[in-house]
Amino acid sequence: MIRIGIDIGGAFTDLVAYDEETGEIIWVKVETTPKDLSEGVINSIIKSKIDLSKVSSIVHGQTLVINTIVTREGAKTGLITTKGHRDILILQRANRRDIYNFRYDKPEPFVPRYLTQEVRERIWGDGTVLQPLVEEDLLTALEKLLKEDVKSICISFINSYVNPVHELKAKEIVSSYLKEKRFEEVLLSVSHEITREWGEYERTNTCVLNAYVLPKWIKYIAKLDDVFRSKGFKGNFYIMLSNGGLSLTRYVVNYPILTVESGPIAGVIGGIAIAEIIGERNIIVLDGGSTTTKASLIENLLPRVTSEYYVGRDRYNPGYPIKVPVIEIAEIGNGGTSIAWIDELGRLRVGPKAAGAEPGPACYGKGGDKPTVTDAYVVNRLINPEYLLGGELKIYRDLAIKVIKPIADHFNVSVEEAAEGIIKIANDNAANVIRIISVQKGFDPRDFTLIAHGGSGPMFAPFIAEDLEIRKIVVPFVPPGVFSAWGMLLTDVRHDYILTRIVEVNNNNIELINKSFEEADKKILEMFEIEGFKISDIYLLHYADMRYKGQEHTVKVPIEVKELKDKDINKIIERFHEYHERHYAFRLPSSPVQIVNFHSVGVAKVKRPPVKETIVKGGLDEAVKESRKIFINGDYLDVFVYDKIKIPTEVTIEGPAVIEDPTSTILVLKGQKAFKDKYGNIIIIRR
Amino acid sequence: MPIDPFTLEIIKNALITANEEMFQAWARTAKSPVIYEVLDFAVGIANSDGDLVAEAPGVPGFSGVLDFAVKEVIEKWGKDLKPGDVIVNNVPYKSGTHLNDVTLVAPVFYKDVLVGSTATKGHWSEVGGMAFGSWNPHSTEIYQEGIQLPNVKLYVEGKPNKDVIDIILTNSRLPDYTLGDMESQVASMRVAARRIISLIEKYSLDAVLTAMKRIIEEGEKYALLKLQELPKGVFEAEDYIDAAIAATEKPVYVKVKVSISDDSFIVDFTGSSRQVPSPINSPYPATVAGVKETFMAITDPHAYPNSGLFKVLKVIAPEGTIFHPIKPAPTSTFWEAMAFATELVWKALAPHVKNKLSAGHFLSIIATIVGGIDDRTGEPFAIVEPQPGGWGAKYDKDGTSGLVACGDGETYIASTEVYEKNFPILVERYMLNTEDGVGHGKYRGGFGVIREYRIMNSQALVTLQVGRHDYPPWGVDGGLPGPGNRVIIYEPDGKIREIRRLTAEVLKRGSLISIRTSGGGGWGDPLERDPRLVLEDYKNELISLDIARNIYGVVIDPNKMEIDWKATEELREKLKKSRRS
Repeated sequence: MIRIGIDIGGAFTDLVAYDEETGEIIWVKVETTPKDLSEGVINSIIKSKIDLSKVSSIVHGQTLVINTIVTREGAKTGLITTKGHRDILILQRANRRDIYNFRYDKPEPFVPRYLTQEVRERIWGDGTVLQPLVEEDLLTALEKLLKEDVKSICISFINSYVNPVHELKAKEIVSSYLKEKRFEEVLLSVSHEITREWGEYERTNTCVLNAYVLPKWIKYIAKLDDVFRSKGFKGNFYIMLSNGGLSLTRYVVNYPILTVESGPIAGVIGGIAIAEIIGERNIIVLDGGSTTTKASLIENLLPRVTSEYYVGRDRYNPGYPIKVPVIEIAEIGNGGTSIAWIDELGRLRVGPKAAGAEPGPACYGKGGDKPTVTDAYVVNRLINPEYLLGGELKIYRDLAIKVIKPIADHFNVSVEEAAEGIIKIANDNAANVIRIISVQKGFDPRDFTLIAHGGSGPMFAPFIAEDLEIRKIVVPFVPPGVFSAWGMLLTDVRHDYILTRIVEVNNNNIELINKSFEEADKKILEMFEIEGFKISDIYLLHYADMRYKGQEHTVKVPIEVKELKDKDINKIIERFHEYHERHYAFRLPSSPVQIVNFHSVGVAKVKRPPVKETIVKGGLDEAVKESRKIFINGDYLDVFVYDKIKIPTEVTIEGPAVIEDPTSTILVLKGQKAFKDKYGNIIIIRR
Repeated sequence: MPIDPFTLEIIKNALITANEEMFQAWARTAKSPVIYEVLDFAVGIANSDGDLVAEAPGVPGFSGVLDFAVKEVIEKWGKDLKPGDVIVNNVPYKSGTHLNDVTLVAPVFYKDVLVGSTATKGHWSEVGGMAFGSWNPHSTEIYQEGIQLPNVKLYVEGKPNKDVIDIILTNSRLPDYTLGDMESQVASMRVAARRIISLIEKYSLDAVLTAMKRIIEEGEKYALLKLQELPKGVFEAEDYIDAAIAATEKPVYVKVKVSISDDSFIVDFTGSSRQVPSPINSPYPATVAGVKETFMAITDPHAYPNSGLFKVLKVIAPEGTIFHPIKPAPTSTFWEAMAFATELVWKALAPHVKNKLSAGHFLSIIATIVGGIDDRTGEPFAIVEPQPGGWGAKYDKDGTSGLVACGDGETYIASTEVYEKNFPILVERYMLNTEDGVGHGKYRGGFGVIREYRIMNSQALVTLQVGRHDYPPWGVDGGLPGPGNRVIIYEPDGKIREIRRLTAEVLKRGSLISIRTSGGGGWGDPLERDPRLVLEDYKNELISLDIARNIYGVVIDPNKMEIDWKATEELREKLKKSRRS
């Protein structure tokens, strides 16, 4: 049988297929079709010529959900909430993120005030009912919304995370009304079903966005499913989730918001898979794209999954909070096609504007007239100055020189020196994204191995390693363009459930702690049940978000024992002290410790394609393509350029050197050495 | 070896990153929520003259108060500064804000050369004084506000100065927190110092000093460039601070004269009232920081703040006035007068720098404390927070609703659910204040909020200070003023009172504190507002039919939810006429 991963990206939709019998891996690339994303997906299958009746599973990472939110092309949505709290979406958290902007605007809510209706009901912070739900209010609210022709409704009440009884009742009443009055096309999302974390603005916004995307999502999934089935597909259709796992469409069809971030996530999973293969446990996965650089820190092979995710957040914009589990990834606007420019004060800057695929860098000869990072690499011949993509893309170095010349003139230096300046600043930007996820969070980047993928990742990585004193870089054997799609083939089915319940960790509360995890586990198993998994195939992991009593910030601590006993309590507290100290540099040994969130994870392992060893024999000189004069550290230097495929296994290449294959360029700097391992990964070591 | 311009750029960025890392390190390791949640602190790196090459304020009210502190340390200690020293200060008059904000300055040496210093300032939860938490709205002298630390050595050549630390801890009601905040503050400064030293080792001392010099020069150059875009001339504004919070018989008159030329930006508060016997006085450094906020807003809100950027700025405030109080004036709620320093410059320039400013906002932080002993657990609890309110209209769009005031920035208002879990209160309503309304105009102000706390405990202690009530947020160009801030307390025995200033007032179970912040001022004549926007506001239940009709001259058919265009035209004509006569 065959397994397929399909990943929609900004420019291309990638398909990777793995034949379970032959071990063969193939990939195809088609253009992404922004108007109807499903077209690109279908095109990729047609182009691959794969017989879908021989396919056991399709794993899909998509951008429909995030695009629908960003372009605001979702359904007309209504919100039903607690009386006295109608303006939850307008008030948000009242912060002014752009602190000196005295014309500051908040993000525009996805539901306007007139489509937000209040009902009388109130549950207090301890879960007690202060005011029972008034059904009459609910029906009035519902009728108003239906009169306004909403297509999707969100119900979110204050404190439903602690006691969902009113949300459940409201759901029942609304559902049966919609059924009776034949409003079957109107869809319903209920906040506590999506997240059980506290914070009414964040939970309501999460639920509203789910409702906003839901009608489009259901159609999208149905269309793909129909097309796949009509082509003979009888296997499982999985969707990539933001938590780094998969879910069958049967479950996720009602919760599109769980898939809000999926493409870059698969890249991180791919990075973890590479780390496992080569026996590394602590890694930083660097994804150097054409317009941005992303990085994620992995400790002990476990990605950092949190529910602190925002759409559209940056230094000056608060964005929209989405409280679903997402792998932590940092991103900056610095990539291979980022544009170099001179600012008002005559300083050289790189990014965040980029030339992207159209028109692309000047050296592509497609009309780009701005100097990009790629142009700078071409001018100094760090990447092939004649062609890329194995000859498919002709490179015009003279055009690159032409656009960099004004920068050289501005600083009164040679074009090569100016190009080197652009490279230095771009690399400094990329190094900063790694500082953000490591140094600023209390990790030392020297304790990590850098896994560099993406078109520009392997070009940036050797410089970043020098700057941050990272000892080892790995450039995966999988081509950069399809790394994310490949990552999807290695992804397990995973569900997360986070339940806010504040419990002091002591021996009196063991029962309550066990009960809370049990409750979370039960929810997880229900999700797998909907998907049709056998309970015996699921293994469960527990985490607790813990804090010192009286503090706000929490630390996620793994809880290894399933059923806690007296003796385990001290161990958990000690582990919390340890984690807290590493993260926050102090401990409060006499302070009571609390659990704030009970976080259960359920995983069903998929069968992974085994990675074949491919030993290349022969001498290193056979791999030499040419001797090239490159410009580096202010001078010209003759270096060997190696053909990546022909490099023999486990033979050392001394830097400076250039390693090329049709899809990427790897630099090895002076003082670094490189070799190819038995899987075809290129390993670079700093001395 | 001369350094190439690109490497210089990287060193400059590295200094700014070092500062950012110091900021994150303190935020991450502090023990008090006021540091890691409210971000009520600032960090900076100064050159050897005390000019800041990098600064990161957590709240805009802290912009550029650090250079006063560093310069005062250099002035006092000079050659007696030794590697490993840390100087502590919180006396407000020459370099500070209020006693809770404690500044530490540590010189950075490379071998024997003084390279510069790291400086941090942040709100310590407790420094003694007449009330828990130290700051309160009723002090009349600084001596009631806590212990004063007059630029003494907290660390001597790397060793803690135990005598000084003992005095500090003895004077604190929460010595554990005080010690924790202090230690994390010192540790964060070491992070930045280490990074500066490693930059010197990598690129040379000369390269780093050149980068520091260049940052200041470029800041100055950039400010001059931005001055070109501003209107030139003299701009004036005046206002009044409510007597109720100033503890004066009459409202407190404040005024400003802003003179902008090609190479200077002079802000003169001469003519403003004397200092007052309540803690709202704004120390001179706070006044300057307040002005810097508006300066940033009208030049480039995204400019990187450093001493160079502010070289063109001169702030004049005569000694003994509310903008430059002298000993023993209390200053513990300095933010109330400081916000006027910010807003006066803003008010003077709003009609002239339309693309950067809005009409007047609710201004008063309405700092609120609700605390006590939780009956359920027997443990103490305390809510300490600012309140959000309405911001003014812009020349081309409506103001923003429910936003923290100008002195606060990336400050998050706590969730109702978090409060109700942690504290014995019920947040009965938290919604837009459509009851008191906004400043109407061609573009209207943003709405304030109604936030109501019901006490669910046998009792709670409440501290509050409400400004901008008698003199509400101002409109521009015919826009109307907002309604003003107010707070009403409903007690279970039926007593209802409006309050302006409370310190630790006892309220019984069932009492309701109704905080109603003001909407912002309007911009332009309400009769010129697009009737479709009026309809939208009506549809969104933000305004009534009466307001649509009487203030905006728009006639709406509520059943069809449509504008009666003809009737609207006639009504607007009529209203204009009656206004003329």
